[in-house]
Amino acid sequence: MTSPNRYEKGAIAAVALMLVAAGFIFLYAPTDALQGPVQRIFYLHVSTAIAAYGCFALVLIGGIAYLWKENAAADRLARAAALVGLVFTTVTLVMGMIWAKPIWGTYWTWDARLTSTLVLWIIYAGYLMIRRLADPGRQAARFAAVVGIFGFIDVPVVHFSVTWWRTQHPGPIVINDALPPQMLIAFFVTMACTLFLAAVMVAIRYRIELLTDQAAEKVVPAPIVAPTKAGSAR
Amino acid sequence: MRSIAVALAVARKDLTSEWRTRELVPALAQFVVLALVIANFGFQIDARNAPAIAPGVLWMALVFAGLVAFGRAFAAEREQSSLEAMLMTPASPAAIFAGKALAAGLLLVLCEAVLLPALALFFSVPLSFEVVSAVLLATVGMAVLGCLFAAMVARVRARELLLPLLTLPLWIPFIVFGGQAVQVAMGGSGGTGNALGLLIDLDILFVVLTSLTARFVLDD
Repeated sequence: MTSPNRYEKGAIAAVALMLVAAGFIFLYAPTDALQGPVQRIFYLHVSTAIAAYGCFALVLIGGIAYLWKENAAADRLARAAALVGLVFTTVTLVMGMIWAKPIWGTYWTWDARLTSTLVLWIIYAGYLMIRRLADPGRQAARFAAVVGIFGFIDVPVVHFSVTWWRTQHPGPIVINDALPPQMLIAFFVTMACTLFLAAVMVAIRYRIELLTDQAAEKVVPAPIVAPTKAGSAR
Repeated sequence: MRSIAVALAVARKDLTSEWRTRELVPALAQFVVLALVIANFGFQIDARNAPAIAPGVLWMALVFAGLVAFGRAFAAEREQSSLEAMLMTPASPAAIFAGKALAAGLLLVLCEAVLLPALALFFSVPLSFEVVSAVLLATVGMAVLGCLFAAMVARVRARELLLPLLTLPLWIPFIVFGGQAVQVAMGGSGGTGNALGLLIDLDILFVVLTSLTARFVLDD
C-alpha cells in the first residue's frame, strides 16, 4: 500500500468537505417555512451552477490562451474544465427538476433560465463532440477554442435571464440579503466545498489529459518489417 | 479596402458557380415549400390558428434551410480542395471567409424570397416591413455563424451530424428575438420591446467575434 499521491489526497479531501457541506445542509440550516425540506436542494443546486460557470470561464480563458500562444497546457485546461463543467451543469439541471416537481408541479417549464441552461448543456456537449471528431492536436484544439469562445456567450445569458425576462425561476436571493443568516452560512459553506470539488476534478482531469497527450506522443510507429519467424511472415 | 475586394471576389465566384449549376437555390426553394406542407399536416392548420402558428413555421423552415445552405457552402471547396489554394494567396483568411459568408447569406435570402411569399399565401398572414426586416437581420448573424461552423465541420468526420449540433444552439438568440418581432408583426401577443434593435446588436456581436476567430478555423 503506497501513500496516496496529491490527486488522491485532493479527492479524499473533496469527499470529506462535501460530507461537511451535507452536514450544514441537513443539520445546521433551518427548514424552509414555506417549502419544507425540499428547499435544501437550493444549496447544492446554486453551488453547482456557480461551479459550472467557473469551469466554462476556464474553457474560455484556456481557449483564448491557446489561440494566442498555441500553448498545449491551456488547451488541456480547457478540455478538462469543459467536461467537469458539463457534469456540474447536469447536476444543476437534474436537481432543479427534482425541486421543481413539488414546488411548481412540473419537472420542466420553458422558462428563460431553464431553457438557457439547457442550451448551455447542449453547447458544451457540442464542444466535447467536436473535440472527439476533429483531428487530434492542433485542429481539435483550435476548433474547440472557437466553440468555447462562442459558447461562453450563453453563460451571462443564463445568469441574467432572471432579470432580463419575466421568469418563473426565482431571481438572485443570496446577494439581495433575502436569506436568514443560518441559511446564508450553509450556502457559503456548500459553495466553497463544491468549488473545491470542482477544482479537484479539473486537476485530476487535467492530469489524465496530460498523460493521454504524452502517451500519444510516445506511440512508436510499428516496424515496417516484422521480425521474421517461420510461418508468421505475411 | 483590399480585404473588401477579396471578399467581393470570393462571393462573386460562389454566386457565379451557383448561377451556372443552379443546384442549391431551387432545391432550397422546394425544401421550404415542402416544410410548409409538412407543417400543414403536423398542425392541422385552419384560418383561425394560422396566424399563431405561422411565425413558428417560418423560423423552423428558415433554420433548417439555413443548415442545408451553409452545409453546402464549403462542400465544393472541400471536394476540389480549392480552399487550400485560396489560402495560399496573399488574401487574408478573414476576407475569404467574409466572401463565403456573404455568398451563402445571399443564397439564403433568395430562399427567403420564396419562403416569405409562400407563407403569406398559404397561411394568409400579412407580410409587413417588420417581418421582412426581422428575417433579413437574423440572416446576417445566422450566415456568419453558420459559415464559421460549416468551415469547421468541413474538415472533420461526421460533418452532417456536427453542423446542426454546433450551429443550432447559437442560432437560438436570433430565433428568440426574430420570433418575437414576427409574432408581434403577425398580430400575435408576445414580447414587447425592441426586438429588431436586439437583432442588430446580436449581428454586430457575432460579426465581430467571427471576424476575430475565422482565421483560426480556415487557416489550420
